[in-house]
Amino acid sequence: MLDVALASLIEDMIEKAGADGVVEFWQRVGDALASRMGKEAYLGWTSFNVAVREGRTAFSIEGDVTPLTDMAITDVDGDVVGYLYAMKQCCYVPTIFRTRYATGRMSPADQTVMDEYNQNVHNIAVCNFCVFHERFREEIAKNVTVSGNPLLSYLLATRGWSGETKISSKNVAMININEEHVRALLRNYECVYALVMRGARLKGGR
Amino acid sequence: MPSESRMTECNPFVEIATALFLEDLATKVGVAGLNNYLVSLAKNLANTMPREEYASWPELMGALVSGQSILATFEDVQPVTERCMTTVRSPFDRGWREYAKRVGSFAPVHKEVAEYYNAKVRPTAVTSVHIVLHTFRETAAARIRVAGKGLRYETIATAWVDGQVILPPAERLDGLLSRAGISKTKLGMLLRNHADVWILEPE
Repeated sequence: MLDVALASLIEDMIEKAGADGVVEFWQRVGDALASRMGKEAYLGWTSFNVAVREGRTAFSIEGDVTPLTDMAITDVDGDVVGYLYAMKQCCYVPTIFRTRYATGRMSPADQTVMDEYNQNVHNIAVCNFCVFHERFREEIAKNVTVSGNPLLSYLLATRGWSGETKISSKNVAMININEEHVRALLRNYECVYALVMRGARLKGGR
Repeated sequence: MPSESRMTECNPFVEIATALFLEDLATKVGVAGLNNYLVSLAKNLANTMPREEYASWPELMGALVSGQSILATFEDVQPVTERCMTTVRSPFDRGWREYAKRVGSFAPVHKEVAEYYNAKVRPTAVTSVHIVLHTFRETAAARIRVAGKGLRYETIATAWVDGQVILPPAERLDGLLSRAGISKTKLGMLLRNHADVWILEPE
């Protein structure tokens, strides 16, 4: 129920603080939640990926995450410095439909916040919740180490409830993965992101 | 009634995020401000739902049990008598468990705002989410007419996941139980494993 009430709260907050205010709010909440998740350390990618598959990492709070171990990310020397991860279902899609069937309509607030984020921050959101969990992942990645290296999260692609897809060209270029490979993943997944070791010399890095 | 009539479950992460959202809001607007937000969002939510009308009390009871009424959107409602309703499991139970598992203890502000609500509005909330639930039920009930008459909602008792129960003051309880058509012993029986006991009655 709280999730459907959230849509009403956001509608109310847009009136009081504007869509940009809600975006800031969501990002602060992402920081706050990540700060309460604690630190994690893994010996290497194998143990981290097993932990992801078994739902033991901070990333697992979002739901079932699949490590795409066939899609490794390599640095300029060809060493593996990261992997792609994907969720079959967006965390927020059930809430979108719950709101629809509880109130008889989709919440207009969802679109308003999403548009604000896409225009002014990062053109990757397919719902208002993307604002929160892109930031959340970026923050918890800092608290997770693999082989002693903290991680960086790059949100790569999203698919919304209505089928709309978004691919982050800048993040796809950063990790040097073909955009069509990422697009193909959206046939089976609704949210695709990369985790890489912080400081890795990525082929697409600036 | 086909199972499609029931709502699908949400991802509990959204509920966790919402709880954090409220905590962040409280740092900006204080406990009184958070209370106002919770009341307002519950009213807004109920007021976005269509009004309902039923020809008779049994028709309303049928809609509640089958999940067709707006009052049964988020919870499985089981009538104990004609006027006494129960909710077996709190709609916030899952989110609370996930929060406790993944994040830790709930922030104190959730209890603080409930205490504020109990002192200022009515003594029925164990934690913040009950402000939403009670306000939602009250506002939703006001949108329903049965045989041409309005519907009134009142809480008898609320039990939280941790076993904490909140009851109205003793001088009010007897009257509520009488209106509900249950005894104190029956209420105690219900509270062992039910989340809420409440009254629906014609105006």
